[in-house]
Amino acid sequence: MTFLNKMIPGQRAKVIGFTQDSPLVRRLRELGIGPGKSVTCVCRAPLNDPLLIRIGASRLSLRRADASLVTVEIED
Amino acid sequence: MAIRVGSPGTRKKTVTVAICGNPNCGKTTIFNAITGLRQRVANYPGVTVEKTIGTFAVAEFDQYQFNLLDIPGTYSLAANSPDEYIAARALFGRIEGESRPDVVVCVIDATNLERSLYLAFQVMQTGASTVVALNMMDLLAQAGREIDLEKLSRELGGVPVIPVTASKGRGITELKRALADAVYPPPRPPMDFYDRRLIAETEALAACDGIVGYSTAELVRVLLDEHGPAERDFLAEYRESKSQALDTARRALRNAFGMLANAEAAMLTHRATEVAARVTKDHGRPTRSFTDRIDRAVLHPVGGLLILAILMILMFQSIFAWAAPLMNAVDELFQSLAGFVAPLMSDGPLQSLLIDGVIGGVGSVLVFLPQIVILFVFIAVIEDSGYMPRAAFLVDRAFGWCGLSGKSFIPMLSSFACAVPGIMATRTIEDRRQRLLTIIVAPLMSCSARLPVYTIMIAAFVPATKVLGLFNVQGLVLGSLYLLGIVTAVLVALVTRLFSRRQQHGSFLMEMPSYKMPTLKSVFIRVYTRAKSFVIRAGTVIFALTIVIWALSYYPHSDEIRDRFTVERAQIENRFSGMETNTSDKAAALTQLERDQAGAYLRDSYFGRFGRLLEPAFEPLGWDWKITMAALASFPAREVVISTLGTIYNLGSGDVEEASLLTDKMRRSNWETGPRAGTPVFSVAVALSIMVFFALCCQCGATLITIRQETNGLRYPIIVFIYMTSLAYGGAWAVYQITSRLVGL
Repeated sequence: MTFLNKMIPGQRAKVIGFTQDSPLVRRLRELGIGPGKSVTCVCRAPLNDPLLIRIGASRLSLRRADASLVTVEIED
Repeated sequence: MAIRVGSPGTRKKTVTVAICGNPNCGKTTIFNAITGLRQRVANYPGVTVEKTIGTFAVAEFDQYQFNLLDIPGTYSLAANSPDEYIAARALFGRIEGESRPDVVVCVIDATNLERSLYLAFQVMQTGASTVVALNMMDLLAQAGREIDLEKLSRELGGVPVIPVTASKGRGITELKRALADAVYPPPRPPMDFYDRRLIAETEALAACDGIVGYSTAELVRVLLDEHGPAERDFLAEYRESKSQALDTARRALRNAFGMLANAEAAMLTHRATEVAARVTKDHGRPTRSFTDRIDRAVLHPVGGLLILAILMILMFQSIFAWAAPLMNAVDELFQSLAGFVAPLMSDGPLQSLLIDGVIGGVGSVLVFLPQIVILFVFIAVIEDSGYMPRAAFLVDRAFGWCGLSGKSFIPMLSSFACAVPGIMATRTIEDRRQRLLTIIVAPLMSCSARLPVYTIMIAAFVPATKVLGLFNVQGLVLGSLYLLGIVTAVLVALVTRLFSRRQQHGSFLMEMPSYKMPTLKSVFIRVYTRAKSFVIRAGTVIFALTIVIWALSYYPHSDEIRDRFTVERAQIENRFSGMETNTSDKAAALTQLERDQAGAYLRDSYFGRFGRLLEPAFEPLGWDWKITMAALASFPAREVVISTLGTIYNLGSGDVEEASLLTDKMRRSNWETGPRAGTPVFSVAVALSIMVFFALCCQCGATLITIRQETNGLRYPIIVFIYMTSLAYGGAWAVYQITSRLVGL
């Protein structure tokens, strides 16, 4: 198990859960980041932050600090 | 069949339809397709969230008058930003002066059904009569997928689902018809998307003594959105007396769902996944999409920044170079208008008011219309195409370093045209601290109203020599002034961050929409609305200010001065009488006399008296009373400065086209009193000091009013005014002292 912010471009992973209970986590859930969902790390912005991920049909960008609240299991 | 009560003059029933949806779902395109230009922009009471209302009619339903209310885009009724809270309150019917919508149309991006269903569920849970507009059906087909509309409608308890391709105008007639049908919807079993434990806790809270007028859907927001705006308003209303009941309910929900964030989201996302899977058919054409291919270039760490830089350069180039011919045209129009009006009237206050005040003042502001239009065309295209979030993504790290966010990029960029739309654009920043900081520094960006000051001063006092055989000094100075605003903004942001107690990081959560071709219609409507409000502003606020300034610098216009100059004029006539050869000398003497007379009137005017009183305070900046008063008069709106300078340097009118004349006047202007009496006021140092002052100063009443509205209080406008004015004075002082003493210019 690792964290969403640790993913490198091109990697796929399955969301496991969250490390805290907060409005930010609620918003991540509303945007489709939920347990069992498959995420792909698309790229990182210049200077490595923020990240661009693909989840379902959406592309989302989030800062690595926020991505560290999401636990994932890297696939293949 | 519906009974017609459609005879002319019969009162129609007004039906309010609210249109909601996720950001980038095409909501605004649908809104424009339904209402066309029959729309007006207003503000929601208390906050400056823009409220667009349009009207439309539906064939065969002429007993209804439809109002369409555009609700800010949101992912959820749980509000993270002021915009989102407005969206939720509008749906709950909690907006002052606005009844609960009769029908809610929920726009869904068909290519992102699963995510969009979340909001649709919440909307239906409010009990509103809902219509689903399934937008972007063309893109769905391109992606090789299909949605079973009937099945989706069934899954949603029978609400109508209308397929739409708003960008091509498809499905709009059907949608309007469905909206009319939904005014009195057929009875359907109520849908319940929430877990019964959540419902139970909400009902327990509702059963508390004294809670009146809260619907279940609203109480869900109070309960679940801890420290959110709904909770804040609820506790304000019940004076904390219910906070214990709230805590108890939350504890129960945490026990049941693991975390509060799960109580609603787990249920709704699960349901959305199920529904989406059941109704979607994938014909499986997994090609790399158009958007992904563009993104590879646009988001490239090096190439992406290069593209962004080129785009910015192109934008500024167009504002400054391409707008010039148009601006000259507008200016000439006003010149010829003044030239046409002047001979029709006799000399006197009324002529002066009309020529110098009305035509000169309003004309000098309307000159900027081409720049504003070009800038908004750029911003509309960048936003509609889907590039804006990418730009924010690229610069987020740099902005984050000084406490801002990539989302500050949009407001800052807009502020180069005008800080007012820039500050309004900060609403999309959820983080309150990032938003306030952006509001505080946005007015430092050199807006288009500062440009004429720069232009005139540079043309008059900065030599057009080349440095290193490549760069024009004039261009370099202009560039430095823009840079000065940006650098100051970064420093202010850094200092603010240093002094803020909480060192917590903000977030940057943003969806990257698919790229779209901006439609001509949508760009036109957006630019038109903006341009209209700018013209109205020029015609009202600036117009009124110009008249006040004109009056203050015209009156008392005493007879004593007139008599004195009448005597002098007679003396000149006498001196030259009989000397036929010297007509040009005579003319020159008379012109000089005219100038002196105008100067004497001005010195004696209320404006002049006050200016001479203040002169000592601005003397360290190298300013005489005329510059002082021109700068002070520009505090309500800095656009006024050109017409004020024109009036002060007693030109017939203060128009930009006469700038060359104005600069001559300024070069000739001497100190009237003091140790330097008789020597020229203007020098490179003085010009630089004036430009730095204008670059840093908050000379814009509209900006301050907007900040007051956006921050709901006087604190921030006062902070902005004080810090910017101090910086302006300090900066102008420093640059004057350094250039005049050390460099000797």
